[in-house]
Amino acid sequence: MPLTNDALWYKDAIIYQVHVRTFHDSNGDGIGDFPGLEQKLDYLQELGVNAIWLMPFFPSPLRDDGYDIGDYNSINSSYGTLDDFRKLLESAHDRGIRVIIEMVLNHTSDQHPWFQEARSSRNNPRRDWYVWSDNDTGYKGTRIIFLDTETSNWAWDPTSKSFYWHRFFSHQPDLNYDNPDVREQMWDVMKFWLDMGVDGFRLDAVPYLVEREGTSCENLPETHNILKELRQKLDGQFKARMLLAEANQWPADLRPYFGDGDEFHMAFHFPLMPRMFMGLKLEDRKPITEILQQTPEIPSSCQWSLFLRNHDELTLEMVTDMERDYMYDMYAESKTMRLNVGIRRRLAPLLNNDRRRIELMNGMLMSLPGTPIIYYGDEIGMGDNILLGDRNGVRTPMQWSGGWNAGFSTAEPQRLYAPLIQDPVYGYPAVNAVSQKESEHSLLRWMQRIITVRRSTAVFGRGSIEFLYPANHRILAYLRRLGRETVLVVNNLSSSAQAVELDLRRHKGNILIEMFGNNIFPRVGDLPYLLTLGPYQFYWFRLRRV
Amino acid sequence: MSGTELNLEDETFLSDDFLRQLINVGEVDILVGLPTHNNAKTVGPIVHTIRSGILGGFPRERAVIINADGGSRDGTPELVTGISIDDMRPASNLNTLRTLHSISTTYVRSTGSGVALRTILAAAELLRAKACIVMSPESAKIEPEWIANLLRPIYRDGFDLVSPTYRRHKFDGLLMTNLVYPMIRALYGARIREAYMPEFGFSNRLGNQFLGQNGWRDGNGGPGVELRFTLAAIRGGYRICQVFLGEKEHIERRATDLVPTLRETVGTLFAAMDSDFPIWSTVVGSKPVPTIGSEQELLLNSTRVNRKRLREMFSTGVVELESVFRLILSSSTLAELQRIARLGEEEFHYSAELWVRTVYEFAASYQKSVISRDHIIQALAPLFRGRAYTFLAENRNGSATDVENNIEGLCLEFERLKPYLVQMWKSRE
Repeated sequence: MPLTNDALWYKDAIIYQVHVRTFHDSNGDGIGDFPGLEQKLDYLQELGVNAIWLMPFFPSPLRDDGYDIGDYNSINSSYGTLDDFRKLLESAHDRGIRVIIEMVLNHTSDQHPWFQEARSSRNNPRRDWYVWSDNDTGYKGTRIIFLDTETSNWAWDPTSKSFYWHRFFSHQPDLNYDNPDVREQMWDVMKFWLDMGVDGFRLDAVPYLVEREGTSCENLPETHNILKELRQKLDGQFKARMLLAEANQWPADLRPYFGDGDEFHMAFHFPLMPRMFMGLKLEDRKPITEILQQTPEIPSSCQWSLFLRNHDELTLEMVTDMERDYMYDMYAESKTMRLNVGIRRRLAPLLNNDRRRIELMNGMLMSLPGTPIIYYGDEIGMGDNILLGDRNGVRTPMQWSGGWNAGFSTAEPQRLYAPLIQDPVYGYPAVNAVSQKESEHSLLRWMQRIITVRRSTAVFGRGSIEFLYPANHRILAYLRRLGRETVLVVNNLSSSAQAVELDLRRHKGNILIEMFGNNIFPRVGDLPYLLTLGPYQFYWFRLRRV
Repeated sequence: MSGTELNLEDETFLSDDFLRQLINVGEVDILVGLPTHNNAKTVGPIVHTIRSGILGGFPRERAVIINADGGSRDGTPELVTGISIDDMRPASNLNTLRTLHSISTTYVRSTGSGVALRTILAAAELLRAKACIVMSPESAKIEPEWIANLLRPIYRDGFDLVSPTYRRHKFDGLLMTNLVYPMIRALYGARIREAYMPEFGFSNRLGNQFLGQNGWRDGNGGPGVELRFTLAAIRGGYRICQVFLGEKEHIERRATDLVPTLRETVGTLFAAMDSDFPIWSTVVGSKPVPTIGSEQELLLNSTRVNRKRLREMFSTGVVELESVFRLILSSSTLAELQRIARLGEEEFHYSAELWVRTVYEFAASYQKSVISRDHIIQALAPLFRGRAYTFLAENRNGSATDVENNIEGLCLEFERLKPYLVQMWKSRE
C-alpha cells in the first residue's frame, strides 16, 4: 500500500503515538529499539493506523524522557542507528504508514555541545545561542510551567556566572531565536530528517520561542514569524510534509498558529480533551459543545489534532479553577495521580476500565472534527503505574503477550528500562495484544473495527460539523458533512439509558444506516426523530436518500 | 419551554409535554419547585437568585427548576424558563459546569393551588431528586444563601424536612404565633415555628410518601397542603429541622381575607386532628427541633395597625354569632367572651387561657361537626381578631425578648390545657 501524494494526507490520518523505547526490544537489552518497532509495523497496519508519531529518539541525558536533546542529527544508541531508522521509515512507508517525528525547537539539553560552548565563556561565538542575563529579574510576567519542580524561569550557571532562561526544566536552556544562526541551524536540523524521508514534525513547545519584556513570552508575533519562515522553507523544498504544533493554549490563542494556512498544518486541540472527560463524568455535553463553539474556523488546509491521552499528564491548564478542582476530584482522588497541573494516568484507569466508556470516548475521538491520535497501549486498555515518578507511569513497556516480559523483551526483568504493569486488572497476563487479537470481542478488535469504519469515509477527517442540541443534555449529537455525504453521530454521555428526539426535518426522506452493522433505521419524517440509547452508547448513521 | 395545561381528569396527571421535558432533564440531585400564578413582578429576581444559589452552593450537582404555573397571563413561565443554562443559551457571565434546566408546566388554577405542589412532588419522584425545595414566588427579596441553607440539611445531613425561620416584624404572622405554632407544638410536641411554610425543603422519601398518600383524591390535596406536608412529616417520624433564612419581605398586596387563611391553616389542622388523635393524644409537653441559625428574629420598628377595628369586629362578632357560638363553645367560655366583648378599650383583655380554651373547644366542635365545618372555621375569625388585639396591646412597647416570652407563655398555656382538649375529644367520641 504505497503512500499517496495527497498534500492533505494528515486530514485522513489515524496517528499512533509511540516511544521507541517502550514498544519492542529486538536485542534483549531491556530497551525498545527501532528494529523492534519495525517488527511490530504489521500490528500497527492491522490496527488500521496510517501514521506513527515517534517521541524523541535523539541522544539525550534522558532527564526529561528525551525532550532534553543532546544531538539533533543522530539516534540514541540505545534505540539503534540512523540506518535502523532509515529501515523503519522505508518499512513503514511500504505499509502506507507515514512517520512523524518529534522536534524540540525551544530548548536543548544543558549537555548539548552548543550549550556547553555557550556557557564556557561570555565571549564564545555560541554564547548568544541561548538567553542570558546577569540577574533573574527579566520577563517577570512569564508563568512557570513545571510548578512542581521549578521556582523560576531563570537558572544560575556557575560556569559563566550568569543566569540562563528556561521555560521547562532548568536542565533545558531555551535557545535564542533572535539569533539568525539559531534559526538557520534548526532548519538545517529539520532538513536533515526531511531529506531522510520523514513525513512531518510534531514541533514541541512552540509558543515559547521568543522572549519580550513586558509580555507573557508566549504566542508572540515574533514567534509566529519564525514558524512561518520554517513553513515557507518546508513548502519550498518538500512536498506533502506536515507540521504539527504543540501549543497548550486556548482555541483563540491557537488560531494564529494556523496563520493563513501558511504556518502549521495541524495543532493539538488541548482544551477539548479534558472537557471530553468532564462531559462524560458530568453526563452533560455542555463542556464539549461550549469549547467547540469557542473554537474558531481554521483555514481549509489545516486540521485539528485530537487525542484522549498521551505521554504527558492529562493537562488541566486550559480549564477554569472550578473545572480543575472537579477533574481532580473525579479522576485523581489520590494526590499521587496529580502532576504539575494535570493527571498522570492512562485512558483505561481514568475510566475505571469501563469498556463502554472507553468505547464512547474513542467514538467521539474518531468522529469529532480533527485527526485522532491513539497513545500506544490504549488500544488494548493498558494501565499505568502511579508509583513511578514524573510521567513514567504512563510510559511502561508495551504489553504484547502474557509471556516473558509481556513479549516486550527477552532481557532479565530487572534490566527493563521500566517495570511492567503487573497488577491483577491491568497487568500483562490480563491485558496484552496477543490475547486480544484472538478474542473477537476484545478492545483491540473493537478498535480495529472503529478505525476501519472511520476510514471508510472522508467525512470525519474533512467534513464540516453541525451540532444538533437536542433538549436532552446528556446526548451529544452532530452532523458531519462533506459534499453530498452526511453522517449523523449520536453519543449518550450518560450511565443510564436515554431517549432523545432529534430535529432532522431538514433531512426528511432520508433513511439512516447504522455504520457499524449497516442496518437500516426508520426514514426521517416531519416529527422529531426518536432514538433510544443504552448507557454510554453511540451511533454513527449514514444519511441516505432512497 | 412553557408547557401545556395539566388536565386533572386525565389518568396520567402530568401532561405529555411536561413528561417530555422531564425526560430531557433526567435524574437530578437537586430540584427547586416554584409554584406561580401571575408573579411576573417578583419572579424574575427570585429565579435569578435561585440560580445563583444553585450554582454557588451546588455547582457540581445535577439540578432543575420546576415551575408549576396556574395559568399566568403576565409571562411568568417565560421568566422562569428563561434562566436555563445550556449550550444554546450559555450564561456568558457565569462559570458553570453543567446544564441547568428550568422548565414549566401549567395547571388549571381553579382546581386548587395544591396541584402545584403535587406537580412538583411528582416531578421530584420521576427525576429521583435527592433534595428538593419549594420557593415562594412572592417574596420581595431572597438571598442565594437561602437555597443552600434549605437544601444542605437534606442533601448533606440526612434531614427530611427543612422548615424556615425568618426575621420578621414582631406583629407579622399573628395567626402563626397565636394559634398555629403553639397548637401544633402542644398537639405533636414539635416546636416548629413556620409549619405553614412559604419556603421549605424535603427529602425524596418524604416527598414520595406524601405524594402517595390518599389526600389527593380531589386532585389538588385540599387547601393548606403545605401545612399538611409538615404534619405528615411529624406524623411519619421524619427528621425535621429548622433553618434561619433571613428577613422575610413581602411584596405590597391587598389585604387578604382572614377566612381563607383560616381555612388553609386552622381548617387543615383541625381536620388532621381527626385521624391523628392516637398520635397527639399521647404527647406530653414539647421538644425543640434542631435549628440552624436563629429560631426567630424580631424586628421592632413601628408599624401602623388598626387595633380599634380589630376589637370592634370581635365585639360585633360575639353578638351576631351568639347562636353559632352556643353550638361550639362551652357556656362558661361563651359567657367570658361575652363579658370581655362589653369591656372598653382600656379594660379589654383576651387572656391566653381563655384563647386556648376557645381554640380547643372549636377544635372539638369541628371534630364532632356540630355545624358545618366551614362555618365553624368562619366563626373563629372574629374571636381571633380579639385575641390579636390583646397580643398587639400587650406587646406594643415590648422588646424582642418580651414578645418571645409572651409567645412562649401562650405556648405553655396550650400545653398546660391540652388535657382539657383530650377530655373533650374523648367525651365526644
